[in-house]
Amino acid sequence: MAAPKGKDEDVRLMAALATFGVTSIVFFSVILLAPPVKVGPSEGELAPDFTAQAYSGGSWNDFRLSELFNKSWEDGGDGNWILIQYIDTDCPYCWTEGGKMSELHSQWGQDVTFVTVVLELSIPGHESSTAEIEAFRDKTSHDGCKGDSENCADRPGSAHSWLYVDDLAGRTAGDWEIPGTPFTALLQPDGIVAWNHNQPENHPSGEEMDGALQRLVPDDHEHDDHDHDEGGGGS
Amino acid sequence: MAVLDTPLMLFIAGLGVGSVMASIARSRGGEEGTQMMLNAGLAFIGVGLMSSGWTYAIHNSLLASGESSMCASEGLVQCGSVIGDPNWNNLFGVPWGMTGLISFSLLFFLFLSLRMDMHAKWSETFTNLSWYAGLAGLPFVAFLVFVELTQVDGAPHICPFCTVAHLSLIGFLVTAYLLRGRRESSNWT
Repeated sequence: MAAPKGKDEDVRLMAALATFGVTSIVFFSVILLAPPVKVGPSEGELAPDFTAQAYSGGSWNDFRLSELFNKSWEDGGDGNWILIQYIDTDCPYCWTEGGKMSELHSQWGQDVTFVTVVLELSIPGHESSTAEIEAFRDKTSHDGCKGDSENCADRPGSAHSWLYVDDLAGRTAGDWEIPGTPFTALLQPDGIVAWNHNQPENHPSGEEMDGALQRLVPDDHEHDDHDHDEGGGGS
Repeated sequence: MAVLDTPLMLFIAGLGVGSVMASIARSRGGEEGTQMMLNAGLAFIGVGLMSSGWTYAIHNSLLASGESSMCASEGLVQCGSVIGDPNWNNLFGVPWGMTGLISFSLLFFLFLSLRMDMHAKWSETFTNLSWYAGLAGLPFVAFLVFVELTQVDGAPHICPFCTVAHLSLIGFLVTAYLLRGRRESSNWT
């Protein structure tokens, strides 16, 4: 007896259409159930989350960015805004910005949680270490900052009291689309990016972080409603 | 809580149905057994599609609100620490749920094509492709089980909906293996 023959028409097109239909039904059901959230560093997107080790002045501890978020925050409500800064301890601009950050923190530290993430750019002379991160933050003696040309104790500004996150391996830089350092962004308390240093087209002409803080962070923000510990150094 | 567990119970029931169908198909020869084996594979794929979609929904809700009512976030068996872990909850930025959705769609196409015309000239190729595609998924399953048991925050954890998706793939792989066997032993029709 001859083996059964297949159908005259090619059923694969029908199968492909049916597959597309079934997958679409599942996909749109998911969208209805829980709409996707746009994650990224651009303004209006949810800031990319990450976990890493963070130095708070006395010790290194687990840190997760999203633990700073208050998802129930509403526009105009209470809650700490988050200033996230990316630096390389060997980058000369980051060295200079250390002073500016000290000023910003003294002015806004009650309302804004500061987080500095430390990268190691792939440039000769930019080799860093956790010891160098500690020295840069604390302004303690360590030869090797600013392209190995300065002692970290001589960094402009005062010792920083906020968290310094170790990302020397550069695991978060891709998600944050860091083009270079220093990079700063301001997050709403719910984690949505409100200001990105690399989107000047969205800002008043020439606006820097201090201007963004004044424009975006509410003046009447309650100072006694801190949910988050800024680290062992205290602020 | 009982309402929240309903999807999981349905998925487990789906896996059970697929297993029973595959078991019955094994005992039946010829075209009828092959068709039932294909149906069993489609049942596993269906559960895989839906559980992948469910984990994708959990992923989205965790991002949006930091918590999800679709799965527990405390204890050993939970989703929050697994699907909510930013270091491990995606493949090059694509959530694992979406990856599963796409992968099971491919398997669905292969098996549905076979089911619609099991005598087509390409049916042997599609049978082999199904087997190899299922095999290709196994390292990912092994990796994800390793991650939830050892790598995620507060490990070990077991994500029940992820496990359903993993078992769906394994169930599919078994049916694909048995189908290849039927073909090689001339028991296809």
